[in-house]
This record gives sequence, C-alpha cells and structure tokens, in this order.
Amino acid sequence: MRPTVEEQLQGTCRILETVVAPCVSDSYARTILDNLIANLRMLKVALPKVAGFLRDDNVATLSLLLAMQPALKTDLVGRIDTAAQAGDPDVADGAAIEERNRLLRALLAEAVCSPDLTPEIRRSIEIHMINRAARAPMRYVPNAPAIITSTPET
Amino acid sequence: MAVMSPPAQQVVEGLKALMCDAVPSAREITFAGLSRAAGGLSRENWSFDASWTDVRGTHAYPLMLMRDAAGTLLTTERSREFHVLKALNGSAVAAPVVHWMDPDGRFLGAPSVVMERVSGSCDYMVLNGSRPLPERLKLAHDFLELMANMQKFDWQTHGLGECLGVPQESPAKTELHQWEAEYRRVQIEPHPELDYVLSWLDNNAPDAEAIVLVHGDFKPGNALIEGNVITAKLDWETAHLGDPLEDLGWITNPVRKSEHQIAGHWERAQIVAAYSKLTGRKVSDAALTWWNVFSCWKLSVIQLTAVHEFVSERYNRVFQTPSWLYRPMFHMMSGAR
Repeated sequence: MRPTVEEQLQGTCRILETVVAPCVSDSYARTILDNLIANLRMLKVALPKVAGFLRDDNVATLSLLLAMQPALKTDLVGRIDTAAQAGDPDVADGAAIEERNRLLRALLAEAVCSPDLTPEIRRSIEIHMINRAARAPMRYVPNAPAIITSTPET
Repeated sequence: MAVMSPPAQQVVEGLKALMCDAVPSAREITFAGLSRAAGGLSRENWSFDASWTDVRGTHAYPLMLMRDAAGTLLTTERSREFHVLKALNGSAVAAPVVHWMDPDGRFLGAPSVVMERVSGSCDYMVLNGSRPLPERLKLAHDFLELMANMQKFDWQTHGLGECLGVPQESPAKTELHQWEAEYRRVQIEPHPELDYVLSWLDNNAPDAEAIVLVHGDFKPGNALIEGNVITAKLDWETAHLGDPLEDLGWITNPVRKSEHQIAGHWERAQIVAAYSKLTGRKVSDAALTWWNVFSCWKLSVIQLTAVHEFVSERYNRVFQTPSWLYRPMFHMMSGAR
C-alpha cells in the first residue's frame, strides 16, 4: 500500500520542516514544532518494530513468570497458569497482542515485589528488564533548548 | 502598537486584576514587553516590565510570571514556591524576590507567582560548556556552596515547617510515599521495572541525620548565571523539608553526570568531600546511593507524568516510558546489596 506509513511520516516531516517551520516565528511554538517533527522521525523508524517487539516480549515475560513461580504466592501462581493456558493471540491481531502484553506485565509487576525472590531470580528479572529496555522501539527524543536567558527574547 | 495574541492578552488582564487585588491603590499600571519564554517544562514563564503608581510612589520592575501549564511534568503548589521565596528573602541563598501570588488561579486562570526577573542566563550544561576549566570548577563549587547555605537556612525560625510540613517518619520514606502516590496517579500501564525498584527503595530507606530545606530539583538548569556569579536559584516549586542527602543524591546521580559533574575533576568523590567540608556532615555511601536510585526513580515518575498529560491532551511535548533509567538503577541497587 503506497504511500506506506513510513513514507507518509517521512513526507509529513519534510512538509512541516520546509513549509510550516519557516513561517513559525513564535519561539515557544517553534520549540514545540521541532519536538513534534523529531518525534515523528523516531516513529517512522520505530513503528514497523512494535508488533514484533510485543510478541517477543510476551514470550519472554511468560517464560520469566513461569520460572518465578516457586517464589510466588499460590494465588499469583494460579493467575500465571491461567495466562499461560490462554496462549498467544493471532499474530495479525495487534490489539490482542497489546492487551496480552499488558496482562503479562501486570502479573510481572506483582511478582517482582514478592519478598521471597532469590538472588538468582533477581538477576533473571533484571536481565529480562534490561533486555526489554534495550529492544523497546520507542525512544524519547530530547529537543529542549540548553540555554535560556532571563530577558525577553527578541 | 503590536497586536497581542489571545493568551498574552489574557495574561495582561489577569496580571492587572492580580495587582489591583494585591495593591488596591495601584493606578497607571503598564506591562511592557510581555513574552513567553521557550523554556519551562512544567509551567509557563512570562517575562515583562511592570510600572505603576500607588500611595507609596511610582514603581518600575522587571518581572517574571510563573503560571501552571495546562499539562505539566510536575504537579506542584505555587504557594509552596511563594512561601519559600518569601522566607529566603535576605538570606545567604541567592533567590528572586517574590511579589504576588494567585494561589488558585482566580485572576490568571491557573495558579501563578510573580517574582523579580533576575539578570543572568540559564545554561543546563554550564559545567561542561565552553568556559575554561577553572571557571567551571568555581561554578561547580559555588553551586554546592549554595546548596550548603540552603541546608543551613533556619527554616524553623522562618515558619517554613507550617507551610511545607515536617516529615513525621524518615524523610526518605516520606518522599518515597509521596512520589509513589504520584506514580499511581499517572500510571496508565503496568511498569514492573518501576515496581521492582520501588520495592527495593521501600525496603532500604535510610534515616536522616537532620531535617533541612531541600530544593527538590537542584541543577544548573534551575539557576541564573551572570559572568561567573550565580545570581539566583530558581524553580522552588518542589522545595520541601527533608534529608540533607536528597539534593546531594540528585547531583551525584550518575545518569545526569553531564549536567552536574566534570569528568576527572568534579565527580562523586570530590563532590562528597567538598560537601562534607562545607557542611561538616559525614556522608554515608549507602544512604547516598539510596538517594541516587531514588533520583532516577523520581525522574521516571516525572516522565510518566508527562506521558499521562500528553495522552490526556493537556501537554504539548511527547515523552516515552523512561526505559533508559532501568539499567543504571539496577546497577546501583546491585552495588548496594
């Protein structure tokens, strides 16, 4: 399907930068516009990776939760088993994949606060979380001015 | 005469109403050069020159209006900043003279404070900018001395206990619980990473050696510098009473080294040694590490606030989940175990 989503984001950035930005004289509005363009550029690269990232993360999170079960309370163990039995959604169903990610991460948020975690489990948790953070496709794009004067800008 | 934008016109009308309420005899009020600064992530900063005549004579001041933005990174109280600045007036802590406050936004549409516009520039990266090393080292030391002066400030005599609240348990626990409440308020999806760190912070919170005035966001980006002199410490809206190590933990936080430290010259060990010399306090490395982790965790919550406000269509900048902070937090926690 052309233009692709990436092509449309790329084109939008080009138009904002070459047509709109030169006409924005207000410094606050220009800062906001620059931030939005930078974020659109990040999205162009990140968007194609999101679905794959969530699918992989669901597999890795469930695997970690199952490994943690000996250190968890019965009720939580039961809910992890239920989530495991539900299985992964259809790969084409983006909303269901996102919802499963939310469910599994909610279980993990509860599990990591267990008082009975061994050092080995803690290490596994941290490795899982660091790997996930490294692979997360969305990135904050800083675009704040470094120097601001106290006097009115002319 | 230049035509004002609707937001600027609203600010002028609000300022006049605020002034007439604060100075009932004021007449011939003029506001010139009103402009909104591009900076300010948690509020709107408006610069202007005010003049008026009242029963005491004619006045002219360069002023700044700080007004809560519709969406913000920090949920704060303007009255906190107003009372702290009032108390600091005339002290050894360089801070702007505060004039008026609109605590509930009755006049300006959102809680606001009007203060003196101090001369100088705000440079987030001044400690690692183009100035010669001796100048940067002097500024770094001056920033630390400013912090020490703030910690020596007699908050009890100036009545700050009443408006800021004195921590009833360990200040570390008090701050943690306050920011945990903010975390739960703005959380729009599960964050196991932040719950994991929160659990560690809760289980390892240190006791404080003293209760002092804490700035809460102590950084070069919240100060004005003219030449080689720090002319004012700004942004007191997160000031509170707490642990002396809290601000020290903020500036020794490894993830913000480029703002606070100078590689090879002004790093954690040098900062701690200089701090101990200035204050006479011995710094527990474990307690300072706790505050370093807390600083990262708090920064995460501030970013989540921005995410929350963005999806609520009240904030105009796009932030993401602060995943870049996880690894340094885990690293510090491992070192402390």
